[in-house]
Amino acid sequence: MVKVVLKDVTKKFGRVVAVNKVSLEVEGGELFTILGPSGCGKTTTLRIVAGFEFPDEGRVMFDDVDVTFRKPYERGTAMVFQNYALWPHMTVFDNIAYGLKVKKLPKSEVRERVMGVIELVGLKGLEDRYPLQLSGGQQQRVALARALVVEPKVLLLDEPLSNLDAKLRVKMREEIRRLQKRLGITTIYVTHDQEEAMSLSDRIAIMNDGKVVQVGHPREIYMSPGNLFVATFIGRSTALMGRVVEVSGENVKLDVGDGVVIKGRLARGYELRTNDEAIAIMRPEDFDLDKPKAEANELSGIVDLTMFIGAFNQVKIRLSNQSFKAYLDPDIEVRSGTEMTVYIRVDDVIIFPRRGWEEIEFEAVA
Amino acid sequence: MGLLRKLRFYLDSAMVVQLLIPVVFFGLFLIVPLAAVAVFPLVPGISGTTYSPLLLFQDPSMIRFTSTRPSVIIRQVVMGGENLTLIAVFGPNYGAIPNSLINSVVVTLGASIFGLVIAFVMARYDFPGKMFFRVLAMVPLLLTPFINAFVVRKMFMYDGIISYFIHRILHLSYIIYVDYLAGVMIAQVMTFWPIVYLNVYASMVQIDPSLEEQAENLGAKGFRLFRTVTLPLSLPGLAAGAAVVFIFSLEDLGAPIAFREFDMISFKIFSGLRAAITGEVPPYVASLSLLLLALAMVAFLAIKKYVSLRQYAMVVRGGRWFPRVRKPGVIGAVLIYALILPAMLFTAFPQIGVFMYSLAERWTKTFPEGLTLRYFSEMVSNPVLFTSIKNSLIYAGSALAIIVLLGISTAYVVARGRIPGLGILDVIATSPIAIPGLAIATGYFLVFSRAPFKGTLLDPFTSGPWLLLILAYAIRRSPFTIRAVYAGLQQIHEALEESAMNLGASRWRTLATIVIPLLGLSILGGALVSFVYSMAETSVSVTLGGIESSQRPITYSMYEYLYSGYVEGPNLVAVMAVFIISIQLTVIVVTNFILKQRYAFIGV
Ligand SMILES: Nc1ncnc2c1ncn2[C@@H]1O[C@H](COP(=O)(O)OP(=O)(O)OP(=O)(O)O)[C@@H](O)[C@H]1O
Ligand SMILES: [Mg+2]
Repeated sequence: MVKVVLKDVTKKFGRVVAVNKVSLEVEGGELFTILGPSGCGKTTTLRIVAGFEFPDEGRVMFDDVDVTFRKPYERGTAMVFQNYALWPHMTVFDNIAYGLKVKKLPKSEVRERVMGVIELVGLKGLEDRYPLQLSGGQQQRVALARALVVEPKVLLLDEPLSNLDAKLRVKMREEIRRLQKRLGITTIYVTHDQEEAMSLSDRIAIMNDGKVVQVGHPREIYMSPGNLFVATFIGRSTALMGRVVEVSGENVKLDVGDGVVIKGRLARGYELRTNDEAIAIMRPEDFDLDKPKAEANELSGIVDLTMFIGAFNQVKIRLSNQSFKAYLDPDIEVRSGTEMTVYIRVDDVIIFPRRGWEEIEFEAVA
Repeated sequence: MGLLRKLRFYLDSAMVVQLLIPVVFFGLFLIVPLAAVAVFPLVPGISGTTYSPLLLFQDPSMIRFTSTRPSVIIRQVVMGGENLTLIAVFGPNYGAIPNSLINSVVVTLGASIFGLVIAFVMARYDFPGKMFFRVLAMVPLLLTPFINAFVVRKMFMYDGIISYFIHRILHLSYIIYVDYLAGVMIAQVMTFWPIVYLNVYASMVQIDPSLEEQAENLGAKGFRLFRTVTLPLSLPGLAAGAAVVFIFSLEDLGAPIAFREFDMISFKIFSGLRAAITGEVPPYVASLSLLLLALAMVAFLAIKKYVSLRQYAMVVRGGRWFPRVRKPGVIGAVLIYALILPAMLFTAFPQIGVFMYSLAERWTKTFPEGLTLRYFSEMVSNPVLFTSIKNSLIYAGSALAIIVLLGISTAYVVARGRIPGLGILDVIATSPIAIPGLAIATGYFLVFSRAPFKGTLLDPFTSGPWLLLILAYAIRRSPFTIRAVYAGLQQIHEALEESAMNLGASRWRTLATIVIPLLGLSILGGALVSFVYSMAETSVSVTLGGIESSQRPITYSMYEYLYSGYVEGPNLVAVMAVFIISIQLTVIVVTNFILKQRYAFIGV
């Protein structure tokens, strides 16, 4: 099991800095996900690991070996491309067998291993078809089989599920997870789908604008986002701005207007002083209609808008000059224009300095 | 540092070889000879002469301020007992340089106007028989080296079919006779207008119909719509077509020879190089070649703003959507059938005439006479002709091998190499379309007949010109294949190659198992076109090609049989032209209908 390390990797395309001083350590056998919005440099990072792109600065190491200058065909990685990149002039069998033939394995062994992996990914009986005669899901499995059969040191997956429909996506996601654990291959998985990332990964790196902004276990990233970008990118979130009225250790009190004060916890790694501008980030699903046992904030306001989403009722509540979003029990009917009170635990409110907020435009926050 | 890091990563053995092939080949057989053309006249001493290009401007056969002949002569003549007015149109003669410039400007204008009108009609109107018009427009591009201009001159003799039409059909008491510069202009417009047509047509069908509809919606219609929307949007095609016509017109030999206009740049270079067959290149030839090259390059760079070289070789691209077509009104229909159709038939006549000539016993008066297949069998049994046909097939075939290698390497490196500066290679590799063949021929003469090549296989005087002919064909006709392969490569998603390398296949293996199999048809299509135009190459063939009689290519023999006074010569040349056309038609059918590609029609 190979450990993959990126050290201060930078890659520019003309003026665009696609990857900016990225350092990562992917442990052997780990399923590591790179998650981030479109254009943030995920694919480029993956391609640098595979050797298709050459970093302007920095190094790539497999275990303790520097592979920065190695050609793609000398690295022993196997990549599943976003568009699968199946060769249209070869059958399913020949596509999958390609990597083994390159390694000059005896014919009988090639056959055996290819048939084995075909069975594994559930493509039995399709080996003589051409890629164009397969459905999207089948093509995706051929691409996966082609990568797995060579028993790569590192498996690289670039949004492998993005071309599939929602149901198939969930099914394939589970399959990939199962196979990866069974074979124990170090895997880097790129996606912009956070649900996929959460459900699949051992660890996640969040990228934004070419930089890695946080690395951690899915739970850790969800629970204690390291900065505003992560806080708003992961999960859904809602925000209230205000001015700090009191700081004591971790606990911060924020005046969000008209004397309404919210208590929350200071985001890790940040500092705030009284009178600083700050922002309280909350998850809409953390609001409650009943007062919880733990210490909680009580927020009362006018219901601006309600939207029935199915699993919950989305309610927009207006305080004096700003509003926030809450997901409430769908069984309880809420009418626009009425006054309502909701509770949120102090531990569920994370307070960040306001600096940098304007740069984050994320529709989840509204 | 950054660059070295990059090179170390991106250059593997396959890339290095793929890069070296075009660099060495184009360097040695294009850049070096052209550099010689530029350097020899400019740096006295190298060539052992003290000729300076400025001397060109003191030579009255090159440039003078009074014409040596009247442009038009009108005279009363008696023919067949009738009193007729003979209008002889010759055009002026101000020496080779002004003549060539005047000619090229006039031809470019004429071809542009005619091509533009036809393109507009074809792109915007739908009318019965349109398919026939479309085919007719291609006829002038059928390859008929030397003989088409020869036939045009026959048409415009005082007893030619034009005079016949005016005198016998319209019953006017005029006859017309066109020769010299005026004849060159007419012959070239007739041959070159479809180049403009094809380019403009391609531009027009690519105009998003909604752009024109929007303008109409705002009240523009008719000529205003054309002038304000359609024409500006077609300008890239027009610029490309016009520039190509300008260059082809400058370097054309067929028309000046046929119409005896010996004071033209192309003819002077040609005759100078032929004189050189027995010895040294006359000193003015290099200077004149440099001038020709410079003029072509200026024309070429002038339109670079509009069109990238890339578009050149695949000038004809299909439109994705259905362009706006409508039915012409009554006046439009009258114009189409009464004016445009006869005009197109007229420009197609030389090629039609060549066919008639090949089947005719003789053509000494107005019309061809007597039906015979005699000349076809004579072509095969005539040892001189047979040898030259065989030679050309061998040369074009060998050039093809080089072209395929060059095409794959160049296109691959340009499309896939990540090395800075590859853009230059791209420009160089496509430039032969714009580089006059006569300049290449001059360069070959200058470079390969002296040290360090003297006495080697490349030396045309000791080994004969066969190798230089193959190399010249390969260089001049490679853009067709390079562009075809490049277009093919753009269709292949790079991930298909990357996934092979990712699985451990070296770049060589990836080339062999992924790239070339997927490119097969593009390579074949481009190569076939290159082959045809190699067969029909004239500039280098009639100069270098004459050095050793046993190694003459087909176009050399065509020139010689046409103008050496041999009575049956023209008939045999017509038969050879039909032979070349049949190869061309085969290639058109194969590329269009079997390979489903667009046949690149430009190459003259
Ligand atoms: N070959 C290239 N040439 C120029 N710019 C590039 C190239 N590849 C990527 N970029 C730019 O680099 C940035 C990062 O691109 P990248 O493909 O890595 O993003 P991504 O995170 O994979 O996005 P997506 O989720 O949309 O696939 C983008 O701004 C992109 O436009
Ligand atoms: Mg991507």
